[in-house]
Amino acid sequence: MMRRVWAAYAVEVSKAIRSKAAYVGPALVLLAVICAPFVHPIHRGDTSAYRYIAYVTPLALDFLGFLLVLVYCAGLVSPELNSGAIRHVLVRPLRRHEYLLAKLMTGMSYALVLTLLVAVGSWSIAFAQGDLLGIEDGGELVYTDDQMLRAYVLGALAGLAPQFAAAAYALMISVCTRSTVAAVGAAAGIWIVLDMVKYPLHMDAFVFSTYLETPWQVFINRCDAIDTSWFPAMGYCLGSSVACVIVCSAVAALVLRRRNLC
Amino acid sequence: MASCITFSEVSKHYGSVMALRGLSLAVQPGEVLGLLGPNGAGKSTTLYLLTGLVRSSSGAISVFGKDLRKHFVEIAARMGVLFERPAFHDGLSVRRNLKLQARLARVDVNVDRALALAGVSEQAAVKAGALSQGMRQRVGLAQAMLTEPELLLLDEPTSGLDVEASQEILGLIRRLNREAGVTVVFSSHLMHEVEALCDRVAILNRGVLVRCERTDKLLSYDQRQVEVLMEGGESAAKRLSEQRWVESVEVRPGRLLVRLRDASSHQLNSFLVNAGHPVSGLIPRRRTLQDYFLKAINEPDAAGERDEG
Repeated sequence: MMRRVWAAYAVEVSKAIRSKAAYVGPALVLLAVICAPFVHPIHRGDTSAYRYIAYVTPLALDFLGFLLVLVYCAGLVSPELNSGAIRHVLVRPLRRHEYLLAKLMTGMSYALVLTLLVAVGSWSIAFAQGDLLGIEDGGELVYTDDQMLRAYVLGALAGLAPQFAAAAYALMISVCTRSTVAAVGAAAGIWIVLDMVKYPLHMDAFVFSTYLETPWQVFINRCDAIDTSWFPAMGYCLGSSVACVIVCSAVAALVLRRRNLC
Repeated sequence: MASCITFSEVSKHYGSVMALRGLSLAVQPGEVLGLLGPNGAGKSTTLYLLTGLVRSSSGAISVFGKDLRKHFVEIAARMGVLFERPAFHDGLSVRRNLKLQARLARVDVNVDRALALAGVSEQAAVKAGALSQGMRQRVGLAQAMLTEPELLLLDEPTSGLDVEASQEILGLIRRLNREAGVTVVFSSHLMHEVEALCDRVAILNRGVLVRCERTDKLLSYDQRQVEVLMEGGESAAKRLSEQRWVESVEVRPGRLLVRLRDASSHQLNSFLVNAGHPVSGLIPRRRTLQDYFLKAINEPDAAGERDEG
């Protein structure tokens, strides 16, 4: 099964590489990273380089990146349903859930690319324009450069979880409609409505998007020399994200399984 | 010989619409089966069921002796499909589209050979979105033949093609069947295509298989309809129409079309010669698929009668 999924994933990646639309998202997050020093200047001899990273990473990934993942993944299946191209894929030795898994992996890869771009881009700019020598408090080194880097990498890895959840959620919407515009609109619309009602309905703890910034909190607080624990907030973030991936993937698989593709 | 495809009491409904009712049909290996029927007869549904893109509501389908649902992956690897309106990734070239298909099928195939077979080598570098409908059909055929399948499922394969291109495609399908022993199931509403290509014809009407016969049997000569070649046939026609064994007579330039009730062409010939009408020739009329088709779908019990292949 994994060989078939891998073959389908390779096909999806090959298609994405040749699609101009796939480059819009990475270009936008890169633009945000490059422009952020104008809003948040970087100087030598202080911690502004770390503060710049702490500013631009959640901005580029938790808002822009999240939306880009939603839009990209919402457009993964619906155009193929609309044009009928999905039929040509599913008459090959590939089961429907394997096709879906390949699509999900593509969406996740997209989120990974965005995260990598933001991470590499922001650290490169911070390194080029400022000093990344750790965080001092009252002349005392509180966090070494190594500890700061480690906190960022862990945050980036954990930050992939809600991004992956967003990919699975948008893919589920994409499977339910033949129109890409409707899929993108529904994915963004439902998320906005859910974000508005989750607090009054006391369901915020179970919604993965509540924890979009959680993975970066440790790094952000360390920039102010504040020590913060990874848990329990990170546990909620990972738990709700994994639950979302499982539930949305299962619903998408069920919908696609029952769908007549004629 | 074990059947290549077996439908056992297969039904399919889309909501309240019954698309296929209790279809039982077998297709032998190496056979070319044509699915004929008016719009909404269930031809495409039958093909889609075989591709796994549509799931039957009841009944069982086996292909290559294996249950289609359980062994879909194995079966799909040996199958090629051409849809009525093939869809491609329009932003990619024809060659890239086929390469992606080959990668999905996980087989090492010669894409250029498939393109050449379908006569689209020159379009290999063209973006799929820029192809005309006819070219898309050809590329769809190249895609279907890409993995050198043992079973080809073709939904209206010549749709959108000009006469010359249609003939080429039909010739290619015939060659694949004869030389490589590929089993072909195809749907069409063009009688002459089915006549020319199929070993057997299955006629569907309102989701029911009403007839399934060998094409050569269907297209045999009809001894009851005779074309009489003669000049000045008006008087002969008048005399013939008075005979109780003649059902009808039609006068055409240089010939008469005689429909006999309970007589043979010999009897007709003897009558005309004895009556002094010079006959140049007598030709029993050949049945056409269209005659058979119209008769089959217009029979009052057509939607209730089933015929196993």
